[in-house]
Amino acid sequence: MSTAIAGIGRTEYSRNSGRTTMAMAAEACRGAVADTGLDLAEVDGMICFQAAGDSVGPLAVSQSIGLPELAWSIDMNGGGNVVANVIATAAAAIEAGLCRAVVAYRSLNGRSGYRFGTATGKLSVGGPLQFEAPHGYLVPPQWIAMWAKRHQHVYGSTCEDLGQIATTQRAHAVNNPHAINRTPLTMDDYMAGRWINEPFRIFDCAYEIDGAVAILIVGRELAASLRQPPVWLVGSGDSQSGRGWTEWDDPTQMYSRYAAPRLWNRTGLSAEDMDVACMYDCFTYTVMATMEDFGFCEKGGVGEFFAKGQATYGGDVVVNPHGGLLSEGYIHGLNHYYEAALQLRGQGGERQVPDAKLALVTAGAGPYGGASVLSSEEP
Amino acid sequence: MSVVTVVEAAPEPLPDLDTEGFWKATARGEIALGRCQSCRRWQHPPVERCRECAGPTAFEPISGAGSVYSFIVVHRASVPGFSGLLPYVIALVELDEQPGLRLAARLVGVEPSETTIGQRLQGEITEVFGSEYRIPVFRPVATLAP
Ligand SMILES: [Zn+2]
Repeated sequence: MSTAIAGIGRTEYSRNSGRTTMAMAAEACRGAVADTGLDLAEVDGMICFQAAGDSVGPLAVSQSIGLPELAWSIDMNGGGNVVANVIATAAAAIEAGLCRAVVAYRSLNGRSGYRFGTATGKLSVGGPLQFEAPHGYLVPPQWIAMWAKRHQHVYGSTCEDLGQIATTQRAHAVNNPHAINRTPLTMDDYMAGRWINEPFRIFDCAYEIDGAVAILIVGRELAASLRQPPVWLVGSGDSQSGRGWTEWDDPTQMYSRYAAPRLWNRTGLSAEDMDVACMYDCFTYTVMATMEDFGFCEKGGVGEFFAKGQATYGGDVVVNPHGGLLSEGYIHGLNHYYEAALQLRGQGGERQVPDAKLALVTAGAGPYGGASVLSSEEP
Repeated sequence: MSVVTVVEAAPEPLPDLDTEGFWKATARGEIALGRCQSCRRWQHPPVERCRECAGPTAFEPISGAGSVYSFIVVHRASVPGFSGLLPYVIALVELDEQPGLRLAARLVGVEPSETTIGQRLQGEITEVFGSEYRIPVFRPVATLAP
């Protein structure tokens, strides 16, 4: 059975919500259901993801919106790496007949609460990171900068190439009223940004925010009866590796070296078929490496791809029309699904990608991640 | 309101039965990594049984010689214990013992602007700030001009 995104919901995005993750999750989930006209009581499945216990699980959230029980629920542990898996698993549960209507959500106080880019307090670190944390090497903006540096060494990519990604996405965010950062960014601004971890400047890093997003997924039968045009899930591809950030053999490629062929083989599609690409962009380099792996351009060619306008309106594919995690804000990648759905419904407003029919959504970085293809037409 | 002085300590390792040999070695002033006693492959992070052949593993000293595979210059205090050291260099160090065998470690004795990929390094043992534990860091070694 085909499955589709039938509804989308979200809260305001801010630097300091002054609300609990529970309150925001409830608002976003209610919003996704109300978007469709579905009776809330019809929701029988719920899935979320959270990391380091930074949010609230489906049982508490379902109770808070008046659902006394769920036929199916999963509280997945992870960050951006599990977002595509959350969507694919929800679809699989529906296809397996375990439930009919699933709300997938992510709610976080990513700026005012637990921040992924910063470790605090007296820490004792076990597992593979115990060898690195005592060096002050423990957070994603360090790991991914390390990989970017290797890419610069092997392929001659530059900081300006990363800057092309940051400035293009910011230009997109200017037309997105929901984006947290809409101030135009020039290459000079980018280059003048303070260093975080060389080769990353401040503008290479996701903009941490507070907020929640919810996506309602249903099967074909239900989709046909709802208010919004369904956005169909054409296929998914995932790859999770136990090789960490230090062991991974080639930091010029990410999880996408495995997930991309899986996705394209399953869907019979390729990068050139995509109208929209919501590329996970915890950091600019994540966009660079994954766009190469998904086949949008040759190794080392991403900077030029952006510089020539191929990643924006009138080009080959519009990359992150909402501004991405870099400029719309860091709702950990579930906001990429929201944007893809909006674009394929033709509801992108000022930033609508003309005739958008197919979208790639990716989530994750380094050794772990996945992707989905969404379509405005039933596959 | 009382003023609280916060003394920053670096993150400490939390050893387990598979990793404690590494920390026992650094306490003795040695860098030792897990090595398969059957196929002789090095493995890091360490595991009880070899990932390749499931043979028994034991910690053996390494030479400490290696080279910079990649590096970053840390400018933002994202991890406690290091604000006084900024900017500092963290490198992925590829060890001479085996291709792909790497340690992520802080470099000492080098300016960030003088660090390069491929630079030759030698490991040495230093303290973990604010902790009883000791850990390997790497220092560039002079190489003969070509
Ligand atoms: Zn072995």
